Parts: sequence; C-alpha cells; structure tokens
Amino acid sequence: MSTAMNFGNKAFKPRAPDKGSFPLDHFGECKNFKDKYMKCLRENSYENSLCREQSKQYLECRMDRQLMTKEPLQKLGFKDLLDENSQNSTETGS
Amino acid sequence: MLWRDLSVILRQPLSWAKNSVIRTAVACQLCSKGIQNLTATKPLLHCSPGQLLSQRTSSQPLWTQVRGMKSRRNPHTESQQEEWKKRNKTILTYITAAGVGMIGISYAAVPLYRLYCQASGLGGTAVVGHDAEKVESMTPVKDRILKITFNADVHAGLQWNFRPQQSEVYVAPGETALAFYKAKNPTDKPVIGISTYNVVPFEAGQYFNKIQCFCFEEQRLNPNEEVDMPVFFYIDPEFDDDPRMARVDTITLSYTFFEAKEGQKLPLPGYS
Repeated sequence: MSTAMNFGNKAFKPRAPDKGSFPLDHFGECKNFKDKYMKCLRENSYENSLCREQSKQYLECRMDRQLMTKEPLQKLGFKDLLDENSQNSTETGS
Repeated sequence: MLWRDLSVILRQPLSWAKNSVIRTAVACQLCSKGIQNLTATKPLLHCSPGQLLSQRTSSQPLWTQVRGMKSRRNPHTESQQEEWKKRNKTILTYITAAGVGMIGISYAAVPLYRLYCQASGLGGTAVVGHDAEKVESMTPVKDRILKITFNADVHAGLQWNFRPQQSEVYVAPGETALAFYKAKNPTDKPVIGISTYNVVPFEAGQYFNKIQCFCFEEQRLNPNEEVDMPVFFYIDPEFDDDPRMARVDTITLSYTFFEAKEGQKLPLPGYS
C-alpha cells in the first residue's frame, strides 16, 4: 500500500481479473442465490469453506442467464464439490 | 616510444601547426648557427638581430628555405610514418566502433531488462505463468485461514452508494471465494462508474488473484437502480510458503469507484 511517505518503494499495481468483468445483474435475476449465500455466510460466521455450495449455485445461476461465460466448474475451483456430488450420486444410485 | 608518438603527432598534416612548428625549428636553427658564427669568427657582441639574420649560411631567402623544409622529409622514416598513420587509423576505427556499440547496448538494455524481470519475477512483476489451469489443480491449504476484509470507497464526484455486503470472509489459500458489494444510484440520471482496487498489505497483493470481478470496466447504473456486484477470487496457495507472509493473517480488499466521463479512455491494466 503506498502511503504518502512511500515514494521509494514500488506502487501497488492492480491486475486485471483473469476472466474479465462480471456483467451487471440489472434485473436481479440471481438475487435469490445471492441472498442464500449471504445467509449461509452469516450463519457460519463468514467462513467461506462452509458456503461453497451456495457460491457454486450462484455462479451457475449467472452462467444460465448469460451473466457469466459458461465454464466447467472445475476451472473455477469447484472440483472438490463436483467430486463429492458425483460420489454421492453414485452412492445413492448403487 | 612516447617521444616518437609525439613527434608523429607533431608532423600530422595540420598545416598551421606544421608551419608554426617548422618556423620555430628554423628560427632555432638559424639562431644557433648565428651564435656559432659569432663565437667562431667575429666577437660582435653589439651586433643587431638584423645583422645576425643577414649572416645566413646559404644564399637562399628565408621563405624558400622554410618551404624546402616541408618537402624535404626524411626518406628513411617515411615508411615508418605511413605505418604509424595506418595504425592510428585502425585505432580510431576501433574506438568509434566501441562508442557506437555502447550506445546501441544502452538502447537494447531496456527491453532486455524487462524480459529478465519477467523471467525471474524480480521486482514484483507479474510472472507470465498466471494461468487458469492453476485454479483447477490447486488444493486449499486448510490449516491456514486468512481473514479478508472489504472496504468500499467512492470518489467525491460520484454519487453512488457503494458498500460491501459482508465485512469479512474467512478463506483458506487455494480456495475460491465469492464476495458481494452493493451499489445504488440514487440520482435521476444514469451514471457510469469505473472502479479500481487495492490490496493491503502490499506484498500480499501479488497472491491475491481475482478470477472475475467488476473492476476496470464501465458499469452503468440506471436511475434509482441497485445492483449486486460480485467478486470471485482466491489467494494463491503459495502464500503459505512465503516466509514474508508468515505473520500476515488479514488481507484487506478495497474498491474505489470513479465516475467515467463520456468518451474517456482510461488505461486499463492488462487490457489492450
């Protein structure tokens, strides 16, 4: 962080996001999923690892409504959740 | 050796120097001969300089004698002088080439240094290997939990209400996380805003990777509209290996919104 006195050091260089910018959700199409996620966070004292399912659902909602480029969820770091899901489904299936 | 070089330099075809040098040489010669005559033949102590000069050894006038000196080079040293001239020319060529070479190197140093910095990652330059496959393959470091706090700022000229929807999130490095900001345009006119972000502490900023967010692009809010703005990010798992980050357990992400003027093109980092 460049304070006023910090001229000698390097300034912070913001980097562009990897996948670009989210289009704005003008119509609030994914508001429900967002509310679910926020509720989960509040209940779990803001621990992210316990609310990953909800964040996955939010991103899926965005992708379904053209508010985000469609990508396989593994690439977004949800591989563990997907593996769990497939495991659960195979267990229930068999 | 040095004396010879000096004499070579003295005999260079710079006409004015040569003439003056030769004239002094001639004057010295005549003067010495005059003194010889004096001491040898007549003790003319009260002679005037004009009378001394009139006692020249040869019958030729002074200027032809001087001009004769020019063409009357020493034939024995001529080849040597040629050699010296050639050597001087080659030395001069080498020196000129070295000078031009140094100028060229100083121009080439700029892109070369940039390449070196990118390859070695020195000075915090973004190493080129920041790819998406990393997100897929990284494993969260569960034993290190970091607190990410959120801050929202608005430039004075922008009348939006911009605030984070959660004050903090606890995240492990290597785990992707989602956070929300909310922005409301209370005015009656559509406003376009553009944002940038900052990460504190400074060194942790290079481990903070945003997969997708709402920064650096113009975001348009219609009158009285309120939107949720998500940030999807992760902390690089190598954060845990960095000794400088050993005592860091809080990272603050701060977004600032500015008003984007119509037709204004801001320099966007990383975008073309």
